[in-house]
Amino acid sequence: MMTKFQVACKNLMRKKTRSFLTLMGIALSAWVLVSLLGFNQGFEAALDRDIDNMGFQMMLMAKGCPYEAATMMLKGGTGLKYLPQSVAQDVLKEPEVEAITPMLMQTVFDPDKGENGGIAAYLGVDPASYGAMKTYLKFRQGGWFGQGDALEAVMGYEAAELEQREAGDLIFIPEKNLELRVVGVLERSGTQDDGTIFVPLRTLQRTFGRQGELTTIGIKVRKDADPGRIEEKLYELPDVQVVSLAQVKQTVMSLVSTAKALVLSIAIIAIVIAMVGVINTILMSVHERFQEIGILKTIGAMPGDIFQLIWMETLLLCAAGGMVGLGLSLILSRVTEWLVRSVLPFAPRGALVRIDLDLMLLSLGAISVIGLLSGLYPAWKAGRIRPLEAIRSEVGG
Amino acid sequence: MTLKRFFLAAAAIFVFLGLASSPAPAAVGCDLNDPDRDVPRLFPGATRYETLTLEIQKLGGDRLLGRIESRLRDKLRGLYETIDVPYTLYVIYRGEEKIGYIHGVTQKGRYGGIQIFLALDLDESIRTFYIQKISGPHAGRFRKPGFAEGFVSLSLADFERYEVATGQATGRVARIENPAPLAEQDFRFTLRGTKKNLILVNEFLKMSAQLAPKKGNASQ
Repeated sequence: MMTKFQVACKNLMRKKTRSFLTLMGIALSAWVLVSLLGFNQGFEAALDRDIDNMGFQMMLMAKGCPYEAATMMLKGGTGLKYLPQSVAQDVLKEPEVEAITPMLMQTVFDPDKGENGGIAAYLGVDPASYGAMKTYLKFRQGGWFGQGDALEAVMGYEAAELEQREAGDLIFIPEKNLELRVVGVLERSGTQDDGTIFVPLRTLQRTFGRQGELTTIGIKVRKDADPGRIEEKLYELPDVQVVSLAQVKQTVMSLVSTAKALVLSIAIIAIVIAMVGVINTILMSVHERFQEIGILKTIGAMPGDIFQLIWMETLLLCAAGGMVGLGLSLILSRVTEWLVRSVLPFAPRGALVRIDLDLMLLSLGAISVIGLLSGLYPAWKAGRIRPLEAIRSEVGG
Repeated sequence: MTLKRFFLAAAAIFVFLGLASSPAPAAVGCDLNDPDRDVPRLFPGATRYETLTLEIQKLGGDRLLGRIESRLRDKLRGLYETIDVPYTLYVIYRGEEKIGYIHGVTQKGRYGGIQIFLALDLDESIRTFYIQKISGPHAGRFRKPGFAEGFVSLSLADFERYEVATGQATGRVARIENPAPLAEQDFRFTLRGTKKNLILVNEFLKMSAQLAPKKGNASQ
């Protein structure tokens, strides 16, 4: 004896093309839905990763032109004003602050660079705190400085490439007539660190007569802390300004939210179209099997049995379509990512579409529930067919 | 949000976006900092130039590399003197007439990369010698016109006999004076870079006839 499941499968296979097209409609809707949800969680994670890669979420510097200050910190350059190093300790006392890293940027004029001379920049860092924050920095050769005041340097990938430096080589600071030994060369990181020459903080302070002074303090905020609150607190310190990468993230996310809303609208429309397609397919099927359902009822099938049978067909269509859609979204995730990148004003590095098991189960569940809802009306209608009326009819009612 | 903070955030976003979206550059070659200005200075009479980007790997691979090393009588070594370094050859014109070439190399020096440019006549003899960048306490002496004049009219034939490993020179190369006796290493590196430069131009010219150059204007 055939089960309801087998009967439902057989019924769907009677009209292969129609079932296939309906299934593909559901699959495409599922693809859009899963890709959108995957993008929703992937984009924010990628942006967080990019910001985490910067090591700190806030930068504190002496008051000056905000544009120059931000540029200096992120691209390199000398500070217009200096912060006393004691500020670093004040900042560290704040409970929201997980770690800090003090920095001093200094530049010199190198008359033997280009036709009219050029600027050479050095970033004084404390290797313990800087390295701990920028965990993505890996060494191609050597490592960090031995001591905080050593006459040593670590070179970013591009800086070393330009200067043809390797661990053990020397570099020279013009104006100061100072030789530094290169003790480490970093691997390419794709960040501003690639073009930087790092020098121990105390060495740079001593060399440039800037003892006890900093240009910037990088601040890592605790994960559970409110960045806005700590920012307010930092502004209470005298003559400082704060650049918060949380602001950067917030603004980028608001830029992207417009694109997300657009795609979400498309996904909702696609799902509604798919639902209508499912209702239409099942209704057509019920209509074509009007007599058959009547005969089933005359031989003892109850309205509940017919309802379950039709509902089963709907569920099968939606579950199969949903699974095909999931497969499509996995296989085409790179294509989706490429499409997303091409329309977004800004996209961080790394995977933008993250599809994990939880997301797949959630999507499949949602599609099945939507399918079941779509099947309610056709199943109810089929259950209400009167046997005699159905048998007397020509084709359907 | 105050206006100041808004600008601060906008500036940070601008720079952040720039940083995050900038592609990783390829291996560093050696280009003139400002070719439109530098070309007529290095090659008086030039009215325009065209550029060719050349790589040992693409032009002849390991076989070409072997030939260059054999002529240099030294290995191209280190992390950055690699087979895939892109070199720019400036082909110099006066009107429609080709009159020479400018080519630069980066040579490892004691304190940093030394960028050595040679302006060459069509017979590949040196017309102008120019160190675009050099580091070290005596760097300035290597950029003085007197030192550069010592290279004028020398060609690969003169440098063929120069031993880069020992610094032994004969003939006209031996007559080039070290402008900074305390920087003997940088002097030798400069001669090695010059010889490497001449060999590369010679090999590139033999192999690059099929490449289409890009046009540029030399501002007089």
